[in-house]
Amino acid sequence: MVVVRTQPTSSRTAPLSETTVIGWLHKNLFSTVLNAVLTLICLYIIYVVVKGLWIWGVADAVWVAKDRRECFDISIDGACWAGVIQWIDNIFYGRYPRTELWRVNLGGLLLVLWMAPLWLPRVRAKIFIGLSTVFLYPFLAGYLFAGGDKSLFMQVMVTLAMVCLAGNTAHAIIGVSSGRGLPDTLLRWLGKDQAPEATQRNTLLVLLAAALAVGYALQTGWTEEVVPWSKWGGMFLTLVISGIGIATALPGGIILALGRRSKMPVIRVMSTAFIELFRSVPLITVLFMATTMFPLFMPEGFVLNKLVQVIIAVSLFSACYMAETVRAGLQAIPRGQYEAAHTIGLGYWGMMGLIVMPQALKHMIPNIVGSFIGLLKDTTLVSIIGLFDILGMLRSVSQDVPWRGLHKEPLLFGAVVFFVVCSVMSKYSRHLEVKLSAGAKR
Amino acid sequence: MTSTDTQDTPGQLASAASTEVIIQLNKVNKWYGAFHALKDIDLVVHKGERIVVCGPSGSGKSTLIRCINRLEEHQEGDIVVDGILLDKNLKHIDHIRREVGMVFQSFNLFPHLTVLENLTLGPIWTRKTPKAEAQEAAMKYLTRVKIPEQANKYPGQLSGGQQQRVAIARSLCMNPKIMLFDEPTSALDPEMIKEVLDVMIELADTGMTMIVVSHEMGFAKTVADRVIFMDEGDIVEQNEPFEFFNNPQHPRTKLFLSQILQH
Ligand SMILES: Nc1ncnc2c1ncn2[C@@H]1O[C@H](COP(=O)(O)OP(=O)(O)OP(=O)(O)O)[C@@H](O)[C@H]1O
Ligand SMILES: [Mg+2]
Repeated sequence: MVVVRTQPTSSRTAPLSETTVIGWLHKNLFSTVLNAVLTLICLYIIYVVVKGLWIWGVADAVWVAKDRRECFDISIDGACWAGVIQWIDNIFYGRYPRTELWRVNLGGLLLVLWMAPLWLPRVRAKIFIGLSTVFLYPFLAGYLFAGGDKSLFMQVMVTLAMVCLAGNTAHAIIGVSSGRGLPDTLLRWLGKDQAPEATQRNTLLVLLAAALAVGYALQTGWTEEVVPWSKWGGMFLTLVISGIGIATALPGGIILALGRRSKMPVIRVMSTAFIELFRSVPLITVLFMATTMFPLFMPEGFVLNKLVQVIIAVSLFSACYMAETVRAGLQAIPRGQYEAAHTIGLGYWGMMGLIVMPQALKHMIPNIVGSFIGLLKDTTLVSIIGLFDILGMLRSVSQDVPWRGLHKEPLLFGAVVFFVVCSVMSKYSRHLEVKLSAGAKR
Repeated sequence: MTSTDTQDTPGQLASAASTEVIIQLNKVNKWYGAFHALKDIDLVVHKGERIVVCGPSGSGKSTLIRCINRLEEHQEGDIVVDGILLDKNLKHIDHIRREVGMVFQSFNLFPHLTVLENLTLGPIWTRKTPKAEAQEAAMKYLTRVKIPEQANKYPGQLSGGQQQRVAIARSLCMNPKIMLFDEPTSALDPEMIKEVLDVMIELADTGMTMIVVSHEMGFAKTVADRVIFMDEGDIVEQNEPFEFFNNPQHPRTKLFLSQILQH
């Protein structure tokens, strides 16, 4: 028997439970008696908590007062935000000189400027921009934050960084407006875009040399007052430590992961031992080792400041965790990709850099962001070994004479700051994940 | 081999084989752990020759051709490709890999790159071809495999047959002297098999040296100068296609042919 449908089935509107608010409520919150009871209980708990917080933290709170006593006088059971407000600069910048705060802010702005092109459409060579952020920006920012006399090495790095920042920015503007790269555009302006490749390259080299000369001249005339690292603190210090940790974690982790998969036994065993050693010890132990035991192994008279020791410890620690993330990412790449890379004649580094890593990094992004969030939070451990990072600062509010005993408000404020930063990062990573998996389905 | 001069059967491509030897295998042995995968393989391939390799699953066909470009390492015997002895010397391996293109059953295109980038990556990075030139060549090969309009798509946006044609073009972009195919059509739907085989037949027409692992008997009859039958790591029988299919000698060959001709 043959059944043939002659009319196409017309589509009908969805049942009400799928489209209206009432339908949704009914389906998800009140579908059975038990569900309805649970929903009501939860609503009641939420109501009580939110109302309590509101009364304590907003309605009855004191915003302006000169000390804790005055807070009590105004409102005995409201929050005393006045203390937090008075300490806000300390919480964010530590004891960094108040007249020099612009340097920290400028450093942050420069980072935004440096990295913004990564998110702009039509900008090319984003890998280079990313790499330069990791390898050059820290020197520029480092000098900006620390100041003082520049060693020759610092002079060179600051020059490179300044030229690179200018180049990046110009490149990004040109990219967004025309979709071209900076070198192409320069060559077109000079009418050399049809010239043979060697001429083009030489022209670009001359331009680069000129830019470096200008950059060098500019930086010689630029000196900042010294701000010793012991004055760095607060959120600023937290971001410096975790920022450097994050920036070194990825390259370090990639190298360690490749080492662990190497065919050469010495390299493999050493990488594995290193990774396992750091991963089997808590960060706080690593920090104590770095600050108390590390100097014992150093030659006489060789003194590293505590901040550098901490940064090295955090970087190594995070690199080892990152190495495992990278290794997992590498394992997701099928063998056929390696074989295809071999058959088009790529060597080991070409294969890794052009074929394997770009794909593996995509798989790894959620995990990478996850470890970054973890690192940002873990960094607060440095307050235990006596650095005044944000947590250290939040806790010193209660040691300050006028605000003695003020614990809750500063810590709550810190929690909110961390919550905002971390949830923005994890939202972004989820967004990336969706975007990239859409990309994979292409 | 019973005779070297081909009897021209209808539809058979004229042979382009010369007397110049381009691949030579001498007593090649390969083990995977304790498992003996290739046993004393002797094989001489002439320039321009088209060889189809067939045989039951696990007989060592893939292993054989993967040894030729060192995706697998053999333990005993000599492999000489394009006059170069394949040994541990990385320079030799690189040289041979540049002369030998390979097409896989599962395409193995680079999913994060567009079709055009897939094609130009090799020439730009390993042959140091200028980008514009590489792109021009890539477009030429894409036209040859009949999908120039797909140049800016990503592999995931193409059908299996299109992907495999891109993979062929990618190999051709390296200007190889030899092309190896490992079951290029067995992951494809029937209607796509033909479009890939057509491209391969055209390639054979240009005089490319080809070694093709395939069970496409029609293709073997049209294109091959020689059919090799492998079983349990041995080359059991080799012959020109007409004789191979109509007059198999070895009982294993007869059994195998009767099995694949059943469907
Ligand atoms: N990497 C490996 N490790 C261990 N054994 C292997 C490996 N690769 C192949 N073999 C074994 O070697 C033998 C030959 O494998 P090969 O892939 O060459 O067969 P084939 O003829 O290509 O088969 P098919 O038609 O299924 O592709 C098989 O028995 C297989 O199990
Ligand atoms: Mg096989």
